[in-house]
Amino acid sequence: MSFFELGSAKKSELKDFYDVTIIGAGPGGITAGIYAVQAGLNPLIIEKALDGGQMNNTQTVENWTGFASISGMELSEKMADHAREFDVPFTYAEVVDIDGEGQNKEVILDNGKKIKSRVIVIATGSNPRKLGVMGEEDFKGRGVSYCATCDGHFFADKHIAVIGGGNSALDESLYLSKMVSKITVVQNLPKLTADKLLQKKLNDTGKVEYIYSSVVDSIEGDSQVRKINIKNVDSGEITSLEVDGIFVFIGLIPNTQFLKGKLEMNDFGYIKTDDFMETKTKGVYAIGDVREKEVRQIVTAAADGAIAIYHAARHYFSE
Amino acid sequence: MAKLLPDNITKQVKEIFSSMEGSVKALLFKSEKNRDYCSTAEQMLQELSEIESKISYEVHDLDSEMAEKYGIELAPSMVLLTPEGDDKGVRFLGIPAGHEFGTLLQDIISFSKGAISDLSKDSIQKIEKINSPVDIKVFVTTTCPYCPKAVLTAHNIAMANKNITAYMVEANEFQELSRKYGVSSVPQIVINDKVTFVGAYPEGQFVDQVMKAV
Repeated sequence: MSFFELGSAKKSELKDFYDVTIIGAGPGGITAGIYAVQAGLNPLIIEKALDGGQMNNTQTVENWTGFASISGMELSEKMADHAREFDVPFTYAEVVDIDGEGQNKEVILDNGKKIKSRVIVIATGSNPRKLGVMGEEDFKGRGVSYCATCDGHFFADKHIAVIGGGNSALDESLYLSKMVSKITVVQNLPKLTADKLLQKKLNDTGKVEYIYSSVVDSIEGDSQVRKINIKNVDSGEITSLEVDGIFVFIGLIPNTQFLKGKLEMNDFGYIKTDDFMETKTKGVYAIGDVREKEVRQIVTAAADGAIAIYHAARHYFSE
Repeated sequence: MAKLLPDNITKQVKEIFSSMEGSVKALLFKSEKNRDYCSTAEQMLQELSEIESKISYEVHDLDSEMAEKYGIELAPSMVLLTPEGDDKGVRFLGIPAGHEFGTLLQDIISFSKGAISDLSKDSIQKIEKINSPVDIKVFVTTTCPYCPKAVLTAHNIAMANKNITAYMVEANEFQELSRKYGVSSVPQIVINDKVTFVGAYPEGQFVDQVMKAV
């Protein structure tokens, strides 16, 4: 990232009514915004943190067609700039509630403002999943972290544990390896599930060791994390590992808590849609990671956005 | 000296500042101890004032009467003043660079319009009732995408009541202070040294935490 980021200073003035309110400025939401403008509609994108969403936490993206390798942050910026080039308005707030029934739908922001629109597109993505072990809540902010770019600096020349062996765990480890002295990766399976190329890059740092078939049992410390207790999933044996911090990357949970009881979801909280991304509530769509589906990638989120707007434009805005 | 703000950023900042109404003055407090970092802060303000004539700044020493008047104990610190010269309790400890640069720009725009709090009516009603001093520190890193939201909420809480002072604290630069409060995740919010939480809470929950601390 550059030394000066404009971020949410690029917000637009709010209007009384929009054709489409898009909640979330990840790749799905931004693409939906662009398609909406190109379909002659009047959209608004509402973002709670940063344009690009979870992409900002990805060091390198190597499967967005057209870019052999690009940083997640740069891709975020390019997507948002693309949308602004087409005059897609953005505003910055957290959505706390929606009223998706009827013709005039409403989205309620945490600053009390209400946005009215004909169509709502949920593109709220997902948040890091927690371990759910003893000590995790107590040591949040005292050595337990879910964001490498936010908190990595605090662990310069320290020994940390990274929990998880998938792409995001190893990608974040690669970032952390620039600061910390040593990383112990704890993986619940007998092997890593991250891409081979990424595994090689991480091994080349010479700072990483792996503990397989193991899960975190509890986190201990005083004013800060001092050690984690790790349980072998086969033998049940528990061993301690002295660490100064622990970064958790064991998958994601959908950001749908504020929609409980409003939209149909599966047991894991992912929103159910039809093939056109529409939920059972007419005029409310769900796209990207938040939707029940098989493949959660930047490219599939973007595709969802295009499909949703294409459908909405024909069904709700053709005279 | 090479410019801090690249041309493409300067162009966009100019556009953002076109919505300014009155003039905004920034007070910058410097110290010899932290000279280079303070100079960078000054250069940033100078470049902003060159982009937009409605922005001006004054430099003061950490040992000055002005520092005492505004309760400034660390440098570099920044205080924003409204067109009428009112202090609304909005403070930056360290340079609002990276993701926090957007926070500074938004604060400048709201100060140009009198620094009227952007909080919901419900929140303002609660905050207005506070009649004792409240000190909110929001520890951030400039690479944290969730932090600007926490700082902006804290600053808007300060704008709603003259008893409240809200600081953005650049945690890497003020390590001693960060250590004192055991900061290892950001945003970490400390209110009156009594209530601490981690994360960019939605406005209503943030306000509830403030009410718990008074």
